[in-house]
Amino acid sequence: MESFGISRDGHEWHFVVCMKVVPKPEEVRVDPETRRLDRAGARSEINPPDMNALEMALQLKDRFGGRVSIVSMGPPFFEPYLRVGLAMGADHIYLLSDRKFGGADTLATTYTLARGIQKLGPVDLVFCGEESSDGATGQVPPGLAEWLDFHQITLVTQVELDPLRRVVRGRRERPGGYEILEVPLPAVISVKTGCNEPRFMDYRLKPWAFAPERVTVWSAADLQVDEAFVGVAGSPTQVSGLAQAPSRERKRIRLEGSPEEVARLLAERLREIM
Amino acid sequence: MQAPMVLTPDEALWERLFQETRGAMALCYQCGVCTAACPWGLVRREPFSVRTMMRRAQVGLLDGDESLWLCAACAQCEALCPRGVPVAEVFQSLREYAWEQRRVPRGLSSVLWSVYWNNNPWFQPPSYRSRWARDLEVPRFDPEQHEILYYVGCTSAYDRRAQKVARAIVQLLRAAGVRFGTLGDDEPCCGEAVKSLGHRPYFYEIAQNNAKRFAEAGVRELIATSPHCYEVFQNHYPRFQAEFRPYHYTQYLARLLEEGRLRFSREVPLRVTYHDPCYLGRRSGEYEAPRRVLDAIPGLERVEMAHFGPDALCCGGGGGRMWLETRAGERFADLRVQEALETGAQVIVTACPFCMACLEDSLKGLGIQGMRVMDVAEIAAMAV
Repeated sequence: MESFGISRDGHEWHFVVCMKVVPKPEEVRVDPETRRLDRAGARSEINPPDMNALEMALQLKDRFGGRVSIVSMGPPFFEPYLRVGLAMGADHIYLLSDRKFGGADTLATTYTLARGIQKLGPVDLVFCGEESSDGATGQVPPGLAEWLDFHQITLVTQVELDPLRRVVRGRRERPGGYEILEVPLPAVISVKTGCNEPRFMDYRLKPWAFAPERVTVWSAADLQVDEAFVGVAGSPTQVSGLAQAPSRERKRIRLEGSPEEVARLLAERLREIM
Repeated sequence: MQAPMVLTPDEALWERLFQETRGAMALCYQCGVCTAACPWGLVRREPFSVRTMMRRAQVGLLDGDESLWLCAACAQCEALCPRGVPVAEVFQSLREYAWEQRRVPRGLSSVLWSVYWNNNPWFQPPSYRSRWARDLEVPRFDPEQHEILYYVGCTSAYDRRAQKVARAIVQLLRAAGVRFGTLGDDEPCCGEAVKSLGHRPYFYEIAQNNAKRFAEAGVRELIATSPHCYEVFQNHYPRFQAEFRPYHYTQYLARLLEEGRLRFSREVPLRVTYHDPCYLGRRSGEYEAPRRVLDAIPGLERVEMAHFGPDALCCGGGGGRMWLETRAGERFADLRVQEALETGAQVIVTACPFCMACLEDSLKGLGIQGMRVMDVAEIAAMAV
């Protein structure tokens, strides 16, 4: 039956969404001495692009059935945030949590996430937000595709699934147009920030979403990771310096005239910049 | 031949609506006064048939998506309904059902997420909430020292124009020697936007949490800037054991005047007309307090528009419409500023940040010169 996520050929779709909890960007301070990010006291939220990734996966679930698993690597405090995803319509949370995972760069993070996803069994699509609002490297989706040996399409704004040919098509916006890439399943899709509007929680699901059995926590031992590849040990990235970007100077130019003239002047200025 | 349209009444929906309105929606006997009273009839050739919506709701049919979101909850129909049907509540129930069906206009989920992550419906960082008062040194509310909590509200905290009103209120409270504080960055959103947009379960969660937080903070009385916050505190929080007494700031200023704590000494030689916000007037029955405040100002001349008090025309910003687009030519506020112009007043005075935004937009949109919109608090602050 379709409603149980089994399509006509008997395949049960399995969509994975990688999610992260981040500090609210405006509340993060840079310690002037150590030049490290000081997150103490900052409020947290789900990384906004990950919400777009989840919405994309949920739309496929609405259409094709199947289930959506949320996978996250992080400390136990992530849990209540991730449950928001269950109240939106995801089915289960896998939280990869171990002190050994701490201090991971994107290489160690993608290795750990990939081990978690491999433990889930067969997967059709892995969705990630294009980047995190705190790290902003955009390296996790491609890194994950490498570890999993999946195909990938990055910066996707719309996705289409062809169940018969078992391919996925992703639309990417390009300057002056767009392109559509098609790859075989399974694949990793990195989702462009703001490409859809994440649905609000369905409060009828909330009691279910906050039941303890909805979350599975996996440690380093559960994932049978090679400890040389996780956490600080598995992270070759070194931050050699941190500098403040100069703030842009406001020019305070006022364009005067009729709406037509103002539009023409504005177009001229924009052309100069482009 | 055209196939006949088959309508399947939804008994479960009817049952729900009946429960949620405590049976009141069954009272509608289809007289159509609501449709005639609805201000949409003033801006559209084809009026918005509230009566049809009511009938469809009575038989458990969810109406077309657009009309469900038109209601600005102005209560014009409710004021005239001979059967006392809480029309806006019925609309909110239908919207709640639309949320469950995920048939909600684009953009509204984002508003709810903003309340959820940012504690305001304006997509603003929660840590910027008290920036409006940066140089005012407004103390943190302390029940031992303060007689009342000033609840600023999201719009007055973040909107540049509305911030001026909050600053004027601080000035007035200080002039009257009122010992007050705010909750600073920890002030919670009242949830009115969530309620009006029809997500009742989330609103109930907000109201329940806030009732608890206000109790823990030792709040016995509070002053709200916006009639929207005031209205939910007054009419919808009591069921969550909220024990504080809310005042709209105009009510509190009127009380301060009566007690002789607030005195207006400076002349304000302006001709003004007062626009009644729906959530203060028809929804809360308060028409007098703002007028008493204005009438106490020396030199001020107050004139009424053709429609005032219970008959006042809505600005169009209630019922969650602040978060929905209203096409040019369909804005009630356009008609309202024309009415105000006819009085010869220099200033439209109101007491609601939403009314202020809508009326100012209309003045700009229509290119009207020589008239401006001010808040009662701003005019009053000129007099101390």
